[in-house]
Amino acid sequence: MIDQIETLHRDTDYDLYFGSAHPGSGNFGVKLKIDGEVVTNARADPGYLHRGFEKLMEYRTPIQNAVISDRLCVLEPLNWNLIHAEAVDELMGIDIPGRAKYIRVIMAELSRIQSHIIWFGVFSKGTGFDTGFKIAFGYRDYILDLFEMITGGRVYPAGYICPGGVRRDFPNSAKDKILKVLEKIDEMINLEKLENPALKARAKGVGILGLKEAIRLGATGPVLRASGMKTDVRKDDIYEIYDRFDFNIPVRKEGDCYARYLIGIDEMIESIKIIKQALNEMPKGEVIDSSLKKPKLSVKIPSGEVYIRNEVARGEAGIYMVSNGNDKPYRVKVRGPDFLHMIPVLEYLLQGTQIADVPAVYWSLNICPADMDR
Amino acid sequence: MIKKETELLNEMKSKYNFEGKIKRKRRISISIDRNNLSKFLHELKNRGFIHLSSISVTDWLDEGNYEITYHLWSYDDKILLTVKTKISRDKPNIQSVTSIWEENAQIHERELHELYGVKFKNNTDLSPLFLEDWRGPPPFRKDFNWREYVKENYYDKNNKRETVYYD
Amino acid sequence: MIKRSKKAKTMRKLIKAIWIFNWFNSCGFAELVPLVGSRWDMERFGMIIVGTPRHADVLFIAGYQTLKSIKRAKRVYEQMAEPKVIIALGSCTMTGGMYWDSYNTIKRLDDYLPVTMYIPGCPPRPEAVFEACEKIFQHVKELE
Repeated sequence: MIDQIETLHRDTDYDLYFGSAHPGSGNFGVKLKIDGEVVTNARADPGYLHRGFEKLMEYRTPIQNAVISDRLCVLEPLNWNLIHAEAVDELMGIDIPGRAKYIRVIMAELSRIQSHIIWFGVFSKGTGFDTGFKIAFGYRDYILDLFEMITGGRVYPAGYICPGGVRRDFPNSAKDKILKVLEKIDEMINLEKLENPALKARAKGVGILGLKEAIRLGATGPVLRASGMKTDVRKDDIYEIYDRFDFNIPVRKEGDCYARYLIGIDEMIESIKIIKQALNEMPKGEVIDSSLKKPKLSVKIPSGEVYIRNEVARGEAGIYMVSNGNDKPYRVKVRGPDFLHMIPVLEYLLQGTQIADVPAVYWSLNICPADMDR
Repeated sequence: MIKKETELLNEMKSKYNFEGKIKRKRRISISIDRNNLSKFLHELKNRGFIHLSSISVTDWLDEGNYEITYHLWSYDDKILLTVKTKISRDKPNIQSVTSIWEENAQIHERELHELYGVKFKNNTDLSPLFLEDWRGPPPFRKDFNWREYVKENYYDKNNKRETVYYD
Repeated sequence: MIKRSKKAKTMRKLIKAIWIFNWFNSCGFAELVPLVGSRWDMERFGMIIVGTPRHADVLFIAGYQTLKSIKRAKRVYEQMAEPKVIIALGSCTMTGGMYWDSYNTIKRLDDYLPVTMYIPGCPPRPEAVFEACEKIFQHVKELE
């Protein structure tokens, strides 16, 4: 009798828009075609935040660009500040003083820890573990207070890492305060490691990305490391002074949402190690190159071109800058890691999942729509 | 110090005709004619450059052409190779590289089609990505002045608080 | 006895604990989500975040809007029930901010939707958001 019922007329196809007015999706929408409970096709709908950043940078001098470059991705502003400053430094041929190099590394690693805390908080909220959300945003405020003491702004540092070094030196009490904040972050990681059975059941075995697919679709960063490839731009294509520090690269083989979540926690532990080593070895001296110490109205950039790669918290970032001798850059191309994660990788992973698993897959990729639209 | 880069450059120079330069450790830059481009890129992928980092277009208004740049990274050799070629600015057509790097290349080419107007042959999906109902010229070209466009479309001449922008 | 208009009477009854629908762009996310957390607890003032515009009294628009997203914001605004209030956060809603010469962002939110209050800052601090909400209560008390 059951067989007879099952072969009756089936009319269970419909369209659903998981979109931008939904409180659980950010400024980005996905059009889903669903058959019953299973997603058969997904198409991404970007463009809610498109400002045309690359051409805006052609109208501004490098000092003005240093202030605007931290708005490329709001969740990790100091890392994008750093990559723009490195591009201008290499074009102008400046060698920055030793103390500035250590300060840049410390601020970039603090920003990476802060971004992973947001990832943990939002992923827990999407899968129903609401306590994790409150723990994460509570501990994140310690780091924002540190940023306010050193750079002057809680979220946006207003061009602290500028071409030529950094704008001003650490205050005298900075070292003790940074060490105290790192103890608090250690406490938070121990709280996070308590295995919540609901989170494990919702995230294990869901959204599996194999290694061959990951390379073909262009994934980089933690998403690629969770699929089995041991690579990190800080070790392969060394920039700044990362070759002087001793840290590991966490790798996992399964490629599902739970593996990506565990890699995020391991990366925070490695960043804490780097900051402690940098604080011990920091020399004394100037923090900005003497030719750029007094801000001038326009500085000419020598002609040439350069491509810089950095490891931001979400993956591999790149800036390609071309200059023809004026005081404004001729062309700036920004390559963000989220452009690849949100369109090809998400459309591939959402095929074949259940509706109830869509938030877990979506938030485990650590997306930031501002980075994709620019 | 730059042994690997020199070996790679010499090996490629014996088979193809291009201008190449080693800029520093791990950075090589190559300029090649557009007719030999597809074969060259095919061979580079088989040699280990499996990651396409980005594709970019530079608009040289004085010379009248677009310069397309491909940035390739190899995980085994740890070298970044930049391949450049020039196409005309009034009718920009070029062969797509989706047969080599598949979805990774397709999304980059879709963005460049919308912002610069470049037509890529054999790319199956070139629909608009960021803009909805846009009827103007491709926005990132050098002859489209944004400050004039904003003054015409977003500010109001009759509003007395905005007379500052009009004198 | 002061004679008040019908609108003033309904607003005095309804706006005592405001319920918020968030429509924020990227900049708002980094600075408004901590309001829900435990350091700047907003539930002690009676404010909660609701999931649908039909339950909300106040619409927060934070950050720059592009042409694509202002159309969606207008539809969300039309779905809210009277009496309703819009609060605009950040300097990009006042004059265009640092994207004043971009071809895709709107320069003044007042041309498209009726705004009651602006909060300056880039991004504004959480204490500024609380002060703005207190000013709304005062404004409603003095309304006629």
